[in-house]
Amino acid sequence: MVTRINVGPIHPSTHGVLRLVVDVDGDTIQSVEPHVGFLHRGVEKLVENRMYMQSPTYMEKLDYIAPLAYDEAYVAAVEAAQGAEVKERAQYIRVILLELQRVASHLLWLGTLANDIGNFFTLFMWCFRDRDLVLRLLEDVSGSRMFYVNMRIGGLKSDIPAGFEEKTLEVVSYLEKRIPEYEKFLEKNPVFLERMKKVGVLKRDAAIELGVTGPVLRGSGIGWDTRKDKPYYVYDKLHFSPQIRDEGDCFARYKVRMLEIKESLRMVRYAVKLLPGGDAIGLPIKLIMPAAKNRISKVSRETPRGEALMYLVADPQRPYRLAIRAPAFINLFALSELCKGERFADMFAILGSLDVVMADVDR
Amino acid sequence: MDYTEEEFLNAEQEMSRLTSQSMQKYGIKPNVLFGKLSDITAAISKGVVQWSRRSSLWPMQFGLACCAMELFDFGSPRIDAERGGYLLFRGTPRQSDVMIVAGWITKSMIPEIKRMYEQMLSPKYVISYGECATCGGPWWESYNIIKGIDQVMPVDVYVAGCPPKPENLFTAFLKLQNKIDGKIED
Repeated sequence: MVTRINVGPIHPSTHGVLRLVVDVDGDTIQSVEPHVGFLHRGVEKLVENRMYMQSPTYMEKLDYIAPLAYDEAYVAAVEAAQGAEVKERAQYIRVILLELQRVASHLLWLGTLANDIGNFFTLFMWCFRDRDLVLRLLEDVSGSRMFYVNMRIGGLKSDIPAGFEEKTLEVVSYLEKRIPEYEKFLEKNPVFLERMKKVGVLKRDAAIELGVTGPVLRGSGIGWDTRKDKPYYVYDKLHFSPQIRDEGDCFARYKVRMLEIKESLRMVRYAVKLLPGGDAIGLPIKLIMPAAKNRISKVSRETPRGEALMYLVADPQRPYRLAIRAPAFINLFALSELCKGERFADMFAILGSLDVVMADVDR
Repeated sequence: MDYTEEEFLNAEQEMSRLTSQSMQKYGIKPNVLFGKLSDITAAISKGVVQWSRRSSLWPMQFGLACCAMELFDFGSPRIDAERGGYLLFRGTPRQSDVMIVAGWITKSMIPEIKRMYEQMLSPKYVISYGECATCGGPWWESYNIIKGIDQVMPVDVYVAGCPPKPENLFTAFLKLQNKIDGKIED
């Protein structure tokens, strides 16, 4: 007998508001239907009524776990439309900030996932303590804890403050010690392994068909990473390699993210070492933009959740149209495929391992 | 049945009135010592109720949007909400005293928020956390957002900022405690 269960509208780890309608036969899931739109506020329409550099603040609220990633993606799209070059020092600083943001995002994901699947509340506390260190670094640069609005055309709002490099290296070496501890804590825990291994398996072909990106795709054995395959800024100088696991289950996605944290920390360390001198300040925000050189610009970026695409049709002063390919939206709809035949309690582990942000889904 | 706050506070007086009524009915003469004792217990229990209500405000685990990230930080080791008595976030409205509205309120979310507010038990408080819940914030022009949660339900404390720091939420809780004590008027 099939029973219909309503879950939500609330996200189990409060990343937003999601409603799931689940059909279960006993404890086995027959189908899951995500109902989205509870956070819809029409970002793409609002941006059409703003000047170019008024919009980054809207872009940051798309993905509030990694705001800088979308901020950068939007500004890069505007830069591509204007045909503006980014200063070399600014490129390095952007990469440092983006990778720090990725570490913060993955730490938050780990903490909330651990909370979801079996109340590992200790790990939640540890992850948040460590994430706070990274946020303080970003706060030093921009003056805000969460929404930085730090990118300007061709550069940054402000250069990094004095002593930032030393502080960053300190945090990086602290985190490099902590991450293996978390791995030891989780990977020797039978409860964690039972909940994660061979749960929610996404096959290679199904992953391509569903169009998932980011760690979900790389957990299924496909090494697509925009930072490697369509390199931007100085990623090709940092000897970066995408992290891949073949199993395709929740544990593989967990492992990919843990490896990505390590890889990001390594890249930050290397980028700080290579950081050139010079100027990194971009154009002031109040400057009226010259007429766009390219009418249409497409920029794809690897955000912590996957590949985001900004499609910008430019007009003088204002974007004529901005379309956003949100990675979380596409990853979320893999849920119904992944949950088929799993047990009801495992749905939250699977949803957690997809790492969706509802504001990104609903836009 | 839903008690208002005033009814709840008057419960003790009501009890003593009923006691004296029944004493009259059965012809029991009030003892001097007994009468004094009941006064003392009434005074103590009123104070105790107020004190325990202000000192164990349990928030509901209910995050709408960005500000929910700062709600996490509110419970994390740096701020440590538990030292103020704002215990673990509760998973259900029926166990919680405080609702922290953290995020923008879309038209499709209003009935759900209303229902959750109605499910909370009677001495209940609402904190409007952040610009979006207070006045619509950057989305004030959007077609799907209402400009402030106070159009839907009464709010006790507003917190400004986008997003406010977790420290500000701690201050908001302290203000709410003062309000329960009667030190701050509406």
